[in-house]
Amino acid sequence: MRLSTYNFLTSKAIKGVKVGFPLKLTIAKQDVVESEFNPTFIERLLPRLDWSGIRLAAEVAGLNDDIPAELPANVAENEELLKKLHHLLLEIDVLEGQLECPETGRVFPITDGIPNMLLNEDEV
Amino acid sequence: METPYTDHLTSIDYEQVYEPAEDSFLLLDALEADLSFIESLQPQVCLEVGPGSGIIVTALAKKLKETLCLATDINPYACKATKKTANHNGTFVESINCNLVDLLRKKTIDLLVFNPPYVVTSDEELKNQSYTNSQITFSWAGGVHGRRVIDELLKSLDSILSAKGVFYLLALRENKPDELIINLNTLGFTAIKFMERRIPGEYLYILKITRK
Repeated sequence: MRLSTYNFLTSKAIKGVKVGFPLKLTIAKQDVVESEFNPTFIERLLPRLDWSGIRLAAEVAGLNDDIPAELPANVAENEELLKKLHHLLLEIDVLEGQLECPETGRVFPITDGIPNMLLNEDEV
Repeated sequence: METPYTDHLTSIDYEQVYEPAEDSFLLLDALEADLSFIESLQPQVCLEVGPGSGIIVTALAKKLKETLCLATDINPYACKATKKTANHNGTFVESINCNLVDLLRKKTIDLLVFNPPYVVTSDEELKNQSYTNSQITFSWAGGVHGRRVIDELLKSLDSILSAKGVFYLLALRENKPDELIINLNTLGFTAIKFMERRIPGEYLYILKITRK
C-alpha cells in the first residue's frame, strides 16, 4: 500500500464513527519502489489529497522534515518539493503494518501490501 | 488498449478468482472506445470495484499514466491477483480488501468501473453458496434480478464519484438496464447504453453514467 492510497482510506463506514480520518498508520515492513518522477501526476493529484493525511504519512515514514506544515501556494514551481512528495506518496510501499480507526481503535491489518478493511455486519 | 497478459494466473487461481470472459472483454472494448473522453477528463483517481483477475484496471493503469489506479474487492484472492496482474504487465495497481466503496473518502473517484456479480440467483441459492466458503461466489451471484450488489453500489454513487466523475457499469438484460437508467436519473445522474453485445446465453450492456 503506497502512501497516496493511504490518503483515501477512512473508517467512516463503521457505525458511530464521525470522521474516521486520518487513520493511524503503523509500518512494520516497507519497500521503496523506484518510479519515474512525473511532476504532472503529483501536481494533479495534490488537490485530491488531504494535507493532514500527507503530513501523518511523512511522520510515520520518518520524512517529517521533507514536508511543510501547509501546502505552499506555488507548489507547481517547487520541483524539489514535488520530488519529495513523489517519493513519499508513490515510492514508499507499505508491505506489513496496520491502520487504526482514530475514534474506535478498530485495527485493519496490512498484509503483503493489501489492507484488510472488511467490516463485520455488526460494525456497519 | 492492450489486453493485459494473464499467463501468470493458473487454473488454481481461477478456482478463487473470476477468469476473464466475454463480459470482461466487452467492458475493455467500451473503455477503449471511450478512451479519448476518459483522457479528456484528466482523471486523478480511478477505481475498479471487484476487479477479479485485474485485467481491466491493469489495462487502464497502463494507458492512464497520470492517474492513481485503485481496486477494491471483497475477495482477498482477487486483491492479490489484481496486484500481480498489474506487476506482470509493468504497471502498478493498489488493492484494498473491502466491500465496494465503504472505506474510501467521499467524492474522490473520477473514473469508476464495475463488472458486478450480475447472475440472477435466488436468495436460497445465495445462502447455500455462502456456506461452501468459496470466495468465487461473490464474483457472479447477484441475487434477485442480479441486482443485489449493483443497487448497493448505486446507493453510494453520489458520495463516491467526484464532480467530473464517470462510471462504466456492465449489466445483463435480466438486470433491467432501462430501470437502472431511470433509477440513476432519479439519483441525479445521466445514464446511456454506451455499448451492447450478444454473447452465448447472455445479452450484455455497458452503461455510461455521468452527473447531470
